[in-house]
Amino acid sequence: MKRNKFLAAGIAVILACALAACGGQPGTQQTAAASTAAETAVKETAVETTEASTEAPETSEETSAASEASGPIKVTDMLGREITLEKPATRVVALTASDCEILFAIGAGDTLVGRGTYCDYPAEVLDIPAVQSGSETNIEEILALEPQLLIMSAMSQTEEQAAQLENAGVQVVISDAQDIAGVYTAIEMIGKLMGKDENAAEVIDGMKTSFAELEEKAAGDGTESIYFEVSPLEYGLYTAGAHTFMDEVANMLGLRNCFADVEGWSAISEEQVLDRNPDYILTITLYYGEGPTPEEEILSRAGWENVTAVKNKAILNLVGNELSRPAPRLVDGAQMLFDFVYGGDAK
Amino acid sequence: MKARSDRFSFIVFLAFAAVAFAVFCLCVCVGSVGIPLTDTLSVIWGGVRYQAGRILTVLSGVVSGGSGAAGSAWQAARPEGLQASIILSVRLPRVLCVAMTGAALALAGGAMQGLLKNPLADGSTLGVSSGAALGAVTAIAFGIRFPGLPFAGTMVMAILFAFLSLVLILALAYRLDYSLATNTIILIGVIFSMFVSSLMNIIVTFAADHIQHITFWTMGSLQGTSYQNALVLLGALLVCGGIILRHARELNAFAIGEDNARHIGVDVRKVKLVILITVSGLIGVCVSIGGSIGFVGLVTPHMVRMLVGPNHRRLLPASLFGGAVFLMLADLAARVLLDPIELPIGVVTSLVGAVAFVVIFYRSRKHG
Amino acid sequence: MLHVEDLTVRYGDLTIVDHLNFAVEEGQWLMIVGPNGAGKSTALNAIAQGTAYTGRVMFEGGEMKKKKSSDRARCVGVLMQNHFVEYAFSVEEVAALGRYAHSAGARRNTGKGAGRGGEDSRAVEDALALTGMISQRRQSILTLSGGELQRTFLAQVFAQDPKLLLLDEPTNHLDLVYQKQVFELIGKWLQTPGRAVISVVHDLSLAKAYGTKILLMNHGREVACGPAAEVLVPEHLDPVYQMDVGGWMRQMLGQWNG
Repeated sequence: MKRNKFLAAGIAVILACALAACGGQPGTQQTAAASTAAETAVKETAVETTEASTEAPETSEETSAASEASGPIKVTDMLGREITLEKPATRVVALTASDCEILFAIGAGDTLVGRGTYCDYPAEVLDIPAVQSGSETNIEEILALEPQLLIMSAMSQTEEQAAQLENAGVQVVISDAQDIAGVYTAIEMIGKLMGKDENAAEVIDGMKTSFAELEEKAAGDGTESIYFEVSPLEYGLYTAGAHTFMDEVANMLGLRNCFADVEGWSAISEEQVLDRNPDYILTITLYYGEGPTPEEEILSRAGWENVTAVKNKAILNLVGNELSRPAPRLVDGAQMLFDFVYGGDAK
Repeated sequence: MKARSDRFSFIVFLAFAAVAFAVFCLCVCVGSVGIPLTDTLSVIWGGVRYQAGRILTVLSGVVSGGSGAAGSAWQAARPEGLQASIILSVRLPRVLCVAMTGAALALAGGAMQGLLKNPLADGSTLGVSSGAALGAVTAIAFGIRFPGLPFAGTMVMAILFAFLSLVLILALAYRLDYSLATNTIILIGVIFSMFVSSLMNIIVTFAADHIQHITFWTMGSLQGTSYQNALVLLGALLVCGGIILRHARELNAFAIGEDNARHIGVDVRKVKLVILITVSGLIGVCVSIGGSIGFVGLVTPHMVRMLVGPNHRRLLPASLFGGAVFLMLADLAARVLLDPIELPIGVVTSLVGAVAFVVIFYRSRKHG
Repeated sequence: MLHVEDLTVRYGDLTIVDHLNFAVEEGQWLMIVGPNGAGKSTALNAIAQGTAYTGRVMFEGGEMKKKKSSDRARCVGVLMQNHFVEYAFSVEEVAALGRYAHSAGARRNTGKGAGRGGEDSRAVEDALALTGMISQRRQSILTLSGGELQRTFLAQVFAQDPKLLLLDEPTNHLDLVYQKQVFELIGKWLQTPGRAVISVVHDLSLAKAYGTKILLMNHGREVACGPAAEVLVPEHLDPVYQMDVGGWMRQMLGQWNG
């Protein structure tokens, strides 16, 4: 009965692997925490891309009148779920980087007791314990932090996870910003939950003003084009197409996203980039201090020498996720792109 | 074809080569950006003349001691413009790499299927490709590289890990089931792949700042490959492929049975080692250049076997051409199906491969 | 021709073959007999260098272990009892592989053609003719019956042209007609000078009919070795098989009288 013995051995190995996987989790999570500092933009955007397909219908946010600090706070989250808090939350876990950034932007960073592994901005956030996020979200780990509120985004987390966490007694609120207007909604919603309505309004106003100024100053009329490189050639080109923040910012600045015909984040053909001949290239590849920098790498690509952006060395490397996260720093990203395109003197 | 000679007859060889060349031309001419055939040809002709002129200039410079006048008469201007860039810098090197990667993977698959007498053996089903990818990822994560050869670190580690994976998988398989039944090998391959992918995830967690592109290592991409990559692949094919082709008879013997091979005088241990090393070399080089592209080595030898029979003297050279054709077509599909979006090539090969896998498994169970 | 000295095979703590000593000379057909688990096939496999052993296996004065595998194959050929085939090789392709050891080395892949290659194809032709597989030479081995498959591999080992042929229960799964065919073919093959055969059989009648020498084994050890008349006698057989072997044989065959 050799086969049975063999099968048994196979099953034993599988079990062993499974056990090892369970036992291994705390360890990996620590290392994850340790390495978050340099978490990469592309990895995150890749996660977001895969999750984006499951995006839920957009829900309009109706916010009740500014609540008194004493009364219960009622909020409809961005998936249309009703959330009631007795008082502003003081222990919060945020799984998604953008929500962390919003919390800090409205001055509620001190309420964070846990963060997702990819949350890396601002620097203070790294001192907060990290929990696994995305598909590896670990409910026990989150419960152990005893949060009053868990903020996560529909992009990188699932509704099933929300349901599980709520069954376990955690109040979950879901953000789902698909565009800049959605970012405002998210900021407003989070502000309300934290009892920081005013700060939130300030942040939103600041963003609106900055964007308006940039749009005003930007001289472009959509004739110049830009190509957003999310993943470098070596690993297969990826770009930000229509309905991404990068696309929105490009339009705002009077630039034409040369892959506006592609929806969302997508792998694209190298030939098409050459054919579309962008005037500017924005790459978010990280540089680790070895070999050519991302700009140099693009400049050295065979066959790209006739691309206008390469000829003019018009390549910008954004390394801080400024334009890939639905967060207040979109303004910074837009400003950086503006400065890069129009320089000190508007062309 | 008459079975008197078990080698390729010249006509069949020519037919295979012609098909491969035709597909090659098709893949260079068709792409995401439409370029008229005449323009394509004139760009390629211009490129060839330019290179030939350069070589002649250098040669005549060496011969005549300086002037190089003979060469410059030949010297054509380097083709320029968008079409030239797309064809000479993007498509041509890529299609070359795709063709040679396909050939190498198919040859490796064919050799393994013969060696193990198992039509389901392949770098991807056994987990060797994942092993090689793990090696490459390890090299990147821990910064293993050789001075002056930035690419060599990942390549050497990929080859090494491919070999170690093969040895480990086979040692395990022999222990569990000496006859190396199909089920055993496949189950071990699955378990090993799972094991490797968890290791890979651990490394990626450790060194997330260095490894952004885990999908590249699991799905593969030949976008952005260069003439240098093509040269490396060519070298691997010449060395490892040459050695494998020279062992066609031994592989025939293994394909009939390892014991039988030993009885008729094959140095079983030595041949096995040689094949395992060369196969690892091929897979390692392919993975370090294009990531792990699955199922090419499984599907191609199988289809080719239906055409030319199981004799490795015909099967191996036919697999070279067949693998090149298969991967070039898969790449073409990946490039143009959803234009301007590009599918990962591994998605296309896996789609075809998974279906083929089921068919082969079903058939082998029926008569096995 | 073949001298086996102190041949011992152990799998862990288990001793399968225990200090076996025997010799086979030109023209002899040694039959190794014994009950199941006696170590017959293991002993044969050890001689064929298919398993690790201690002791010495000497072929024409040289130790088998030290021979190159191609030299070994020119001395000793093996026919197994089972063949599990996977790929659709033709009968001829399988038979032609028997020539591997003869063309191994520098010219191993030059295939058939002039000179030595002609000798190869003649040997294959002869082997196919001898085994009656000529008409099926192009047939896929996947479509052969058990008897045809065994004759295909017999053709291979004939083409290999060894001096000593090792057979492991070569007709175990074959119908009577093939049993007779295979044994007569081997008997004919043995008539050429300079050849010898060792075979493991469990059918004592076959051993008695074709063997010139019998090795009776039990529990890995030699019980008796010598001419059939001396070995296949009740004093040796009955304790080994724990029954009246002769009586049973006569009873079985007696059914056919009249």
